[in-house]
Amino acid sequence: MNVWSISIRNFRYKPLYTFLSILILSVSIALLLAIQQMEASFKQQLENNLGNIDMVVGAKGSPLQLVLSSVLHIDNPTGNISFEEAQKLSKNPLVKMAVPISYGDNYKGYRIVGTTNNFSILYQATLEQGRTMEKPMEVVLGAAVAERFDLHIGDTFLSSHGLAEKNDHDHEEPLTVVGIYKPTHKILDRLIVTDLNTIWDVHHHEGAPNDNHEKEITSLLVTFRSPMGFLTLPRNINSNTTMQAALPKYELERLYQFTGVGVKTVTWIAYIILIISCITIFISLYRMVRDRAFDLALMRTYGANVRQLVKMVAYEGLLIVGIAFIVGILLSQIGVRFIFEMIMDQYKQSVPLLLNYKEIAQTGGLALLMVSLAIGLAIFPIIKMNISKILSHEK
Amino acid sequence: MIKTSGLTFQYDERDMVFNFPDISLGPSENLLILGKSGIGKTTFLHVLAGLLTPLEGKVEIEGISIHSLSNRKMDRFRGQNIGLVFQKNHAIQSLNVFENLQARLFFANKAISNTIISDLLEQLDIIDCRSKKVRELSEGQLQRLGIAMSVIHRPQLILADEPTSSLDDDNCETVMQLLIDQATANNANLIVITHDGRIQPLFQNSLTL
Repeated sequence: MNVWSISIRNFRYKPLYTFLSILILSVSIALLLAIQQMEASFKQQLENNLGNIDMVVGAKGSPLQLVLSSVLHIDNPTGNISFEEAQKLSKNPLVKMAVPISYGDNYKGYRIVGTTNNFSILYQATLEQGRTMEKPMEVVLGAAVAERFDLHIGDTFLSSHGLAEKNDHDHEEPLTVVGIYKPTHKILDRLIVTDLNTIWDVHHHEGAPNDNHEKEITSLLVTFRSPMGFLTLPRNINSNTTMQAALPKYELERLYQFTGVGVKTVTWIAYIILIISCITIFISLYRMVRDRAFDLALMRTYGANVRQLVKMVAYEGLLIVGIAFIVGILLSQIGVRFIFEMIMDQYKQSVPLLLNYKEIAQTGGLALLMVSLAIGLAIFPIIKMNISKILSHEK
Repeated sequence: MIKTSGLTFQYDERDMVFNFPDISLGPSENLLILGKSGIGKTTFLHVLAGLLTPLEGKVEIEGISIHSLSNRKMDRFRGQNIGLVFQKNHAIQSLNVFENLQARLFFANKAISNTIISDLLEQLDIIDCRSKKVRELSEGQLQRLGIAMSVIHRPQLILADEPTSSLDDDNCETVMQLLIDQATANNANLIVITHDGRIQPLFQNSLTL
């Protein structure tokens, strides 16, 4: 028997109160953690997906759309640009590498990107099996695609026209798997990479009326040789050509600003819930101190000093925070995992789960601080307790 | 042994001043203090227990003038040397009977002996209730637990505030006899304050406030 064991018995004495306090506190901790984790994971993943791409050049339109479609592979392209014009740009001395990409097809919702073997350099990807593509109609699969459809070297499949799933218009020529990339945890994992000619060939056979029409691509992914590129090239392209240049990093910053409002709102809601839960804990501890005033006075007559009683109530509060914190972490992890599964399924994006210990510690510290305040306020009456008065009003 | 001299008490400067009679009890002597409600019986008891500080005068228990002790020392002295019995609330609600006695010893800073606790519960005939929560006990069982709580730590002085007023005649006599027996067994002084005339025959010494 010691102060701790009395605290634990007090803690179990009113299970409903205790349960509610833990529930509300753990939900607010879970919300805060989940928001922080998701924001961090998404930011990290978006930045990760940029790979080494410094600039995207595509058809005129919204620069954000261009970045979303050609870099993150989530939106529709802005249109096509001339392959010839793009190639001219590739020869600019400020350009270190320029990788053309061309869209048009998908396989069960996963995008098929027509490009060159340089595409994998942008993501520092290496082959897990097989080889790079050498001729049209050969494809190299991202790791997630291969796993999802259980495709192996030598397997063939038919692509569908368009970028979205559920297009019943299938192409007739099968694509052959010649290689599979190692997992990169970048967008490449969810792409099917093929030669530019594949896209052109497939769509020409579709009875394009003018066989000698100019070759087109969707966009050009550019890596600069030096930071000078950022200063001169985009402006040059935007004012002197029919194409537009977009800087992924800059566009993503803008995107954060748009989505940041939503994140902020939810964060504030989580903080408000945290405050409410602290008030709840304060009320339940305060009520406990008042309801048990006689018990506490009795303990004083047993020889307990003020410090022991304060410790007893404080331990009870800490027990609540401790359990709520653990439950909160578990809840946030389950919740975040669930949401991520959903996102992966819907948007074909793989987002790595980041467990940020610093943020967990911060949130835990904040909860502890707030609850300590609540405990402090609740146990104040113990210090000022008039034992004689409480004992003589026992009836 | 307890000795008081010239005790007076006042709750507030504008309130009336209570004048308490001097008492002096030798080893194992008991005292019944009778008085009507509102006459200051509980106040007197609380002054004796060191829960209230007198305006004048002093209380000596085993030769120690208790009101000259610091708050912390007073808490410890009270926990170790005084046992209090109340009218209704006798123990900590969240603990069971056995745990309450363990807690009593813990707070008094005395060794926790489960055998001593079991023996006492047996003497008071509530050993079957050892795992029951306080709220599950009957009035009679509660009062027995109250007695157990007041003697488990072998105090020098037992102070009882209206211990029998919520009990029926049968329980009243049994409980009072148990309390007196326990006080005797522990060589402790027992002071009971009450307006309950039923227990007067059990005491040799009595005074009326």
